[in-house]
Amino acid sequence: MNPVVIDHLLADGSDLDTAADVVQAALRCQAAPPTESRRRYFDSFEWSLYLAGAALEEEVMGDRREVAWLDLADNGAALARQGVDVELGLAVDLPPGPVHTRLAPVLGIRRLLPMVSLACRSRTLRVLNDDDKTVVRVVLEQCRIAGEGARPEVLLPARLRIAGVRGYQREQEDATRQLEALLALQPAHAPLLLAALAATGRRPGAYSSKLDYRLDPKQPAEAALRNILLGLLDTLEANVDGTRRNLDPEFLHDLRVATRRTRSALSQVKGVLPPAIVEDFKHRFAWLQQVTGPVRDLDVYLLDFPKLKTSLPAPLRPGLDPLKDWLAAHYDGERQALAKALDSERFLALLRDWRAYLEAPSRSLAADAATPIEDVANRRIRRMFKRVIREGRAIADNSPAEDLHDLRKTCKKLRYLMEFFQSLYPTTEIKGLIKQTKVLLNNLGGFQDLAVQAQHLADTAVAMQAADAAPVEAQLAMGALISHLLEQQQRARREFARIFSGFDSEANRALFGRLFGPPTTTTSARHGAADSNRARA
Amino acid sequence: MKIVGVYSIKGGVGKTSSTVNLAYLAAEAGHRTLVWDLDPQGAASYFFRVKPKIKGGGRALLRGKRALDDIIKGTDFELLELLPADFSFRNMDILLEGAKKKPIRQLQRLLKPVVGDYDYVFFDCPPSISLMSENIFRAADALMVPLIPSTLSERTLLQLKDFLRKQEGFGALKLLPFFSMVDPERSLHQDTIERLSAKHKGVLEARIPLSPEVERMGIHRMPLPAYAPSNPASSAYRALWEEVAEAL
Repeated sequence: MNPVVIDHLLADGSDLDTAADVVQAALRCQAAPPTESRRRYFDSFEWSLYLAGAALEEEVMGDRREVAWLDLADNGAALARQGVDVELGLAVDLPPGPVHTRLAPVLGIRRLLPMVSLACRSRTLRVLNDDDKTVVRVVLEQCRIAGEGARPEVLLPARLRIAGVRGYQREQEDATRQLEALLALQPAHAPLLLAALAATGRRPGAYSSKLDYRLDPKQPAEAALRNILLGLLDTLEANVDGTRRNLDPEFLHDLRVATRRTRSALSQVKGVLPPAIVEDFKHRFAWLQQVTGPVRDLDVYLLDFPKLKTSLPAPLRPGLDPLKDWLAAHYDGERQALAKALDSERFLALLRDWRAYLEAPSRSLAADAATPIEDVANRRIRRMFKRVIREGRAIADNSPAEDLHDLRKTCKKLRYLMEFFQSLYPTTEIKGLIKQTKVLLNNLGGFQDLAVQAQHLADTAVAMQAADAAPVEAQLAMGALISHLLEQQQRARREFARIFSGFDSEANRALFGRLFGPPTTTTSARHGAADSNRARA
Repeated sequence: MKIVGVYSIKGGVGKTSSTVNLAYLAAEAGHRTLVWDLDPQGAASYFFRVKPKIKGGGRALLRGKRALDDIIKGTDFELLELLPADFSFRNMDILLEGAKKKPIRQLQRLLKPVVGDYDYVFFDCPPSISLMSENIFRAADALMVPLIPSTLSERTLLQLKDFLRKQEGFGALKLLPFFSMVDPERSLHQDTIERLSAKHKGVLEARIPLSPEVERMGIHRMPLPAYAPSNPASSAYRALWEEVAEAL
């Protein structure tokens, strides 16, 4: 039986010391001197810790500073602690220790950001048995949310925490019963961190780069598409600041994915938005995709670097160091160019104009603007699926690499369409199809990315050589790396036929047919109805 | 989860005080830590103010009638818990012999359900070389062996090494001998330390002094670094813990 932490709220205006006196009068206990501490709670931008049921607390008490890994399911009980003397940021910045061990796999490559800061006064009382052994801990705590800028301080309700000690459950129950009778206690419905976040108006888990639209199948296509595009714009905008400040590589990645999805939605959901709008914004988002590319390429390189290095035989590995130096040296320049692009009027106008268009009242006269989204989705997905099958079947062992590249592009379009419209279909089936499409995409992506990486390495080697920055060891190591990448690429190529036949299976085709099968009404009939509706309006 | 047995064939060498203090330091460093008091004398349980009693005794434990989860007690210190001793542990070998399968892997089996609950488990082991000890060797990642700087201690270390060499499957078990109850005033201790350190590879650097403060643990009924954090013996235990954490 694990110990349980029970949090209560003290009645309004209760004073910690008076409450402590009540506890001491009622229970045999030992009181520690009152403490003052400053606490900050951290999470990643996408709330990775919160979603894993955990929180990271940094506490500064006098000259002692430590971080604790808290279990939100047990009212924020600490599962691990670690002293720190560094500013929290990436997982690699935190020295090895029990908190690092738990944090690293949950945080991944994301950066810890402070979510809320508290100043707390606490009193701890240990309830003792006849052997003077601690059997329950009572913690009285009053915290205020530190004011930031124009935001004033917020005083949170005082709390009384009854923390169980393993093996002494009965004692905890007795103490709880007694204290509930003596003090006007209200159950606290959320751990301190969540109460503090709620008081600042922050909603944990609010950001996700995943597509999760709830669409009404009968909704006119234009309204549904605007809804999707607005969601993508929100994601894109949410990642601009973190990208500009280079907090971690995922901001840029999410920004680029939102851009790519926007472009895909614009070009793939045809006949819904006015062609002039589609053309204009397709062009402008293509620019965004292009200016964000070089930094992303370098990010991927640098993230993959340890793996690339270990793929080489040990004696060759030091030869890659000049490459890393070269990439790092170019990184700053590329970052500055990216920051400049994100500060440019061209970018700001793109966000402004796009939002203005998406939020303005509907005015599209395009052919399918009023068609129910369900029909548009079925039609587009059906067509794209057929195209994937057609292109995939045409690929033979001797087909050129471009054919696989084209198939990848088609496949990606299919995946995005299914993701945009997934709420229109039975969850298990659509998720299964998306997953299967991802398997195919992974194979095609592996093939393509490895080829690009190998080519990029070869170009970099030439550039390094020209700048006199490639000693023989570096050239040998890069040559070996290129050969390793091309070998892997060939492996992906050999696996293609098997993976594609899984996608092109009879069962899969039947499932596609069932989910996106022929619409109940004909396209022309629907158009007619939509036109007459518009005429009436 | 790392499992450390604090073990010696010989009694009275500072096993229990080392177990209790190292486990306390592990928890203080932020690790979830369990002390398993395997010694029927129950001294470690006493230091943590927990009664050395398990309902149904060792038999109920081995037969799975009492889950480990129900027996473990929290201590006065956050992240530090104790699996208390029971007087019936004096007959542990007989109980282990009675196990239907793999009598040398019973401790390992019992620990399985709590593997995810702790970062470190410390066994306070009874002195002897027995079926129980073999269970400890099978379950542990490392054996810490306290050595009083004397010829007799060297003999027990040699006996242990000899035993481990002759058995199969102890290749990965780390042996971490360290000097305990060292009297800095006695030149014989100093000479022995120098001689044994030169002769036996892997003896840890930290030396636990013979100290009245360590003996007072029985009066305070708590780990030494908890009530005398700046005592030289506490510093010695800290140095020892750092070496052990590093070795693991």
